[in-house]
Amino acid sequence: MDMSTLLIYGLSLAAIYGLMAIGISLLWSSIGMINMAHGASFAVAGYAAFSVAELAKPLILATLGKSLAGTVAMAGLCLSAGALTGAMMGALIYLLAFLPIHDKPNFAVRSLIVTLAINLATVQLLLWFFGPKQRNLPKIFGLGKVEFLGLSARYDQIGTILGTAVILGLLLFWLKVSRKGLEIRAMMQNPEGAVLSGISVRWTALPVTMLTGALAGLAAVLLSQSIFVSPTSGAMPLIKGLTISLLGGLGSVPGAVFGAVIIGFLEAVIGAVPWLGQRYVLFGTFLFIIAVLVIRPRGIGGLLDKARK
Amino acid sequence: MTDTRIPGKTYYEIGQRPQEITLKVDGAKPLHRHRLPFTRRHLLKWRSRLNPKTLRQERMLADKNPLWWTLALGLLLVSAPFLSNSALTVAAVFCMFSAINVLWTLIIGTAGIFSLATLAVVGVGAYASAALNVYLGLPWPLMFVAGGVAGLVMGALLALPSTRLDGLYYALLTMGVAEICRVFVQQLKPLTPMNGSINNVQGFIPADWALQRLGLLLGFAGAFVLLLLALLTFRVVNSERLGMLLQTAREEEAYAEAIGIDYRRARMQVFLISSAGLGVTGAFYAQYFGSISPQVFSLDQLMVLFAMIVIGGLGRAEGAVIGTALVVLIDKGLLDLGPLRILLVAAIMLAVTLTTNNGLTGIREQFRGFRRRRQSEARARRTEKGGEVMPEEAIDINDKQAIYYRRFDKRLRDRLKALVTPDVIEEHRQKPLGQHSDALSRLLNYFRRGEVADKYAIIRQAGNFHSYKIVAFSGVRGAPPRLVDDRIYTDINEAYHAVFLLRVNDLMES
Repeated sequence: MDMSTLLIYGLSLAAIYGLMAIGISLLWSSIGMINMAHGASFAVAGYAAFSVAELAKPLILATLGKSLAGTVAMAGLCLSAGALTGAMMGALIYLLAFLPIHDKPNFAVRSLIVTLAINLATVQLLLWFFGPKQRNLPKIFGLGKVEFLGLSARYDQIGTILGTAVILGLLLFWLKVSRKGLEIRAMMQNPEGAVLSGISVRWTALPVTMLTGALAGLAAVLLSQSIFVSPTSGAMPLIKGLTISLLGGLGSVPGAVFGAVIIGFLEAVIGAVPWLGQRYVLFGTFLFIIAVLVIRPRGIGGLLDKARK
Repeated sequence: MTDTRIPGKTYYEIGQRPQEITLKVDGAKPLHRHRLPFTRRHLLKWRSRLNPKTLRQERMLADKNPLWWTLALGLLLVSAPFLSNSALTVAAVFCMFSAINVLWTLIIGTAGIFSLATLAVVGVGAYASAALNVYLGLPWPLMFVAGGVAGLVMGALLALPSTRLDGLYYALLTMGVAEICRVFVQQLKPLTPMNGSINNVQGFIPADWALQRLGLLLGFAGAFVLLLLALLTFRVVNSERLGMLLQTAREEEAYAEAIGIDYRRARMQVFLISSAGLGVTGAFYAQYFGSISPQVFSLDQLMVLFAMIVIGGLGRAEGAVIGTALVVLIDKGLLDLGPLRILLVAAIMLAVTLTTNNGLTGIREQFRGFRRRRQSEARARRTEKGGEVMPEEAIDINDKQAIYYRRFDKRLRDRLKALVTPDVIEEHRQKPLGQHSDALSRLLNYFRRGEVADKYAIIRQAGNFHSYKIVAFSGVRGAPPRLVDDRIYTDINEAYHAVFLLRVNDLMES
């Protein structure tokens, strides 16, 4: 693998991991919940996009044919199905893991356990309904390669990178300008202070959980362009997202982006080095993250005194 | 004492523990208590007290946990020979997982280190001892030593970052360690030729007994002994010196440090002790199954174990054992349910975490807190009504005279309240001193008899002749009276009447 392919591959990995990591990081810093069901949202959204694509395929083929419009319609359908299902999963997580216990003792540990239970149950239910067989999503960016400036990249890689950049940009813009975004940022800075100035925890938590769920859903549709959808396909993105949000410092969006880029490239490089190979990818990234955390216990972007209690 | 109950009449037992079994104390016999050899500990915690109702000395068991433990473990041991082969395996697996969870509880609960590398330590102990046994022919009794040493080394490695990282960061880091171990073991081709697993481990079960009835019984016996040892370790570490030090540190770290408790060191010691124990458990694991595979490092296995201690209740040995029993029964006992098992476990996890504060063993404490809150609410409501002592409050008051006085006082106040009329107040306003009507003199007599605390007095302002303020006594010798309000009365009769109005107001509000 030459440098240019490595660069594109690393960036596309970073994009997907970044989507997952920002979701986890945002949820932790605003409402103090570690969402272990993020992987379940991922898997469910993948299956939802798959089912919708299966249902709509004949219709789109009949009306639009194999034209560019057909691909675009399919892409929009898949992405919106993924995002919507992810948001629904987020709302479910909100109803089960946040609403009943957010003012009770041990909320952090208890919500972690509840989301873990949701994850377990969801994976089993998916196995039940869809079976262990891996499914293939339609290629929403089409098949093919493009060459520019000496770099060659597949359509889906470019689509993933650009799509993620657009989504993240929109998300950050929304957080910056909207009233709800202001409330969420206030919760991130100081939950107690936010409550004292009249921000409702419950009505801030709902959009945050739905938003992070939608991010997981989008990540699922985007990642499924290069790998398959399966009931357990959420586990790896969940672990990656968690570790990257730790590496970047929980609660820091720029830290999460930076961490995702580092880990994406690290994975691409480790996978490409002949005497290491794909099987050492996880090993290498974990060693790297442990080393970073031992040196900088709150991650890259985290500040020591600003950690959430 | 003769029974003075009237036959046929229904009596209700009152008090908090009417059914408590107590022993009679024989005053003629000297108190003789058995101690455990070489220690100052007693087997059971007997406490003597004077029963305030019967006015007799009695002896009661202050801590009944040892009885429940003996009962449960004894039942398991006695019923084991009658179990079927598969049930015997389930029981042995339960004992083994319980041992792991009890030691894990020591790390999470006692030391307060949220480590998820438990199975990694178990796995390292298992792999080290199995490899030594298979490749170097280490005899099985020494495997436990090898496992323990491997666990200790692994624990020491894991303990290093735990002082720098806290809580969640450390938990996720240790999750990564398990993954690293898995990959490492799978890549170690010369040691683990069979896709990462080591087979044909010789153990305490003779090879020709394997999967026979005798072998299963022996395996269960070994697992049971392992569980007992784990529980002993928990008891010795958690309730003796190390545990006490850490309990102080858990409540207030800065305070513990200030009085000279090196809680970091104590944490490390607990972590290392339980890591060594986990290593020994790992050696047992490898011997019991005769093989060890990378499955032990998998995330799913870890999550199932975590579910066990969470369902039971974090930080308590009985929680670890009860949770393990429940999950192992569902997971291994109801095999015909298929994938429904995991759903069932997840549903139990959800229900337990949503409804209880700290697992199944925390239910008792949670219910007591709930009941205490309701009781105090009800007591507050009754006190508002008049301050009479109610039966369950009465058993807490040793001076029975106080109970009767409060009852008398309450009735008196009820009568006096009826006497307060605009006519009486007008009468007092016109003539604070002198001869009064019957109603007014009854009121004034009651007021004069009141306790000194919060009794009103009139204080003359220094320098001014006709200038008074109203104060209330503190009731404490040396503590000055407090000023009731800033109003200055220029007429002493007006001040008398103001005090009267204040007292009437207090009476009507009580």
